[in-house]
Amino acid sequence: MAVTENAAFAADEERWSTLMVSAQAGHEGDYRCLLGELSEVVLHYLASRIGPQHYLDDCVQETLIAVHQARHTYDSSRRFRPWLFAIVRHKAVDALRKNQTVQNTAERQRSFEEVETGNEQIENGVMSGRLINSLPLDYREAITLTKIVGLSTAEAATHLGISQSALKVRVHRAISKLRQMMEADTL
Amino acid sequence: MSKHNALIDSLATDLQPSGRSWNINLLASTWLLFSAAYVVIVAHVLGPIRPEAITQLQNEPRFLLESLLGIAAITLTALSAFRAAVPGALSRPLIAVTAGLIVLWILNYVAGIYSPTLAPSMAGKREHCSLETFFYATPPMIAAFLFARRLYPLQPAKTALLAGLAAGMLPALYMQIACMYEPVHILKFHILPGLTVGFAALAVTFGWLKLRTSGKHQAQ
Repeated sequence: MAVTENAAFAADEERWSTLMVSAQAGHEGDYRCLLGELSEVVLHYLASRIGPQHYLDDCVQETLIAVHQARHTYDSSRRFRPWLFAIVRHKAVDALRKNQTVQNTAERQRSFEEVETGNEQIENGVMSGRLINSLPLDYREAITLTKIVGLSTAEAATHLGISQSALKVRVHRAISKLRQMMEADTL
Repeated sequence: MSKHNALIDSLATDLQPSGRSWNINLLASTWLLFSAAYVVIVAHVLGPIRPEAITQLQNEPRFLLESLLGIAAITLTALSAFRAAVPGALSRPLIAVTAGLIVLWILNYVAGIYSPTLAPSMAGKREHCSLETFFYATPPMIAAFLFARRLYPLQPAKTALLAGLAAGMLPALYMQIACMYEPVHILKFHILPGLTVGFAALAVTFGWLKLRTSGKHQAQ
């Protein structure tokens, strides 16, 4: 089983590298094929690491655009995956940082009491995503409330019973920790 | 997936050849070679070199070793700077070894305060060695920035800091040959301005990123 997986892993690596070299030479068809495969791989990677968040599609698109802009830096004498996943990790962390509660206005304006009763959603958020799930509890709560559930800093701080600045520190550290975990994580 | 397909279509349509990628090690070596040649030539043209420096390099093994240590630190810093501008090319071990060599190189001069490599002397003193260090480093730093911009630095601040340090350390090292040898003077007027170039590069990059971000916000 492991041998088959390794063979598939190596085959993907070689095919993507060949397709990228062809794309560097300007072959549209190969490039289309490569981006199509990568969009699925990236989506799967992100969903399994940070959970099925609403901004994953945007993150995949950002990654595809970055791959396009950086394609001239891919060197076929090096492995393709480290090049690709450096971009994916960067875009994922970027998305987590920038994600400013893309929930609709009505949801944003819901009262704190409603949030209190919405613990199921919070728990679902916590349960989603292998990497987020393996964060220390303080960090996990902070990042789940602000980046996944979509509470404002003030709301999340009140919910956790800490100051806003303490919450911001926790979110910042959680993102740094996630970045480290993604760097250490192999595909 | 249709959203992705539309994007893929727009990216792939009329795809132009991007050309083969540069060999990043070769690029870093070329930059280093030209920058080192520039620093040596400018230092020789703009002031006299300490007369006995070359003899000391031949006769004082510790002076030769500390110079080689500096060269190694600069080489790895340059390599790290260029690798930082290519996704996935900069490894943690490389950055750790680079940082270790830089610290070791500086500590060598700190140790020199108590046990100098050469007998401290004012011979060969250049009046404005700190300014010279700073300004000699500027063109190589700009060149490194221009190369890095053509690549794809995911963390521009890290790339800028490394490029600035590599550019700043070049004249900082050469001043041990061109200027007087005295450890405190070296640390204050050669090494410190050299390191300052790295932090100046970082500040410039932060400013540029801020401008770019505010420009994007205005455009939206």
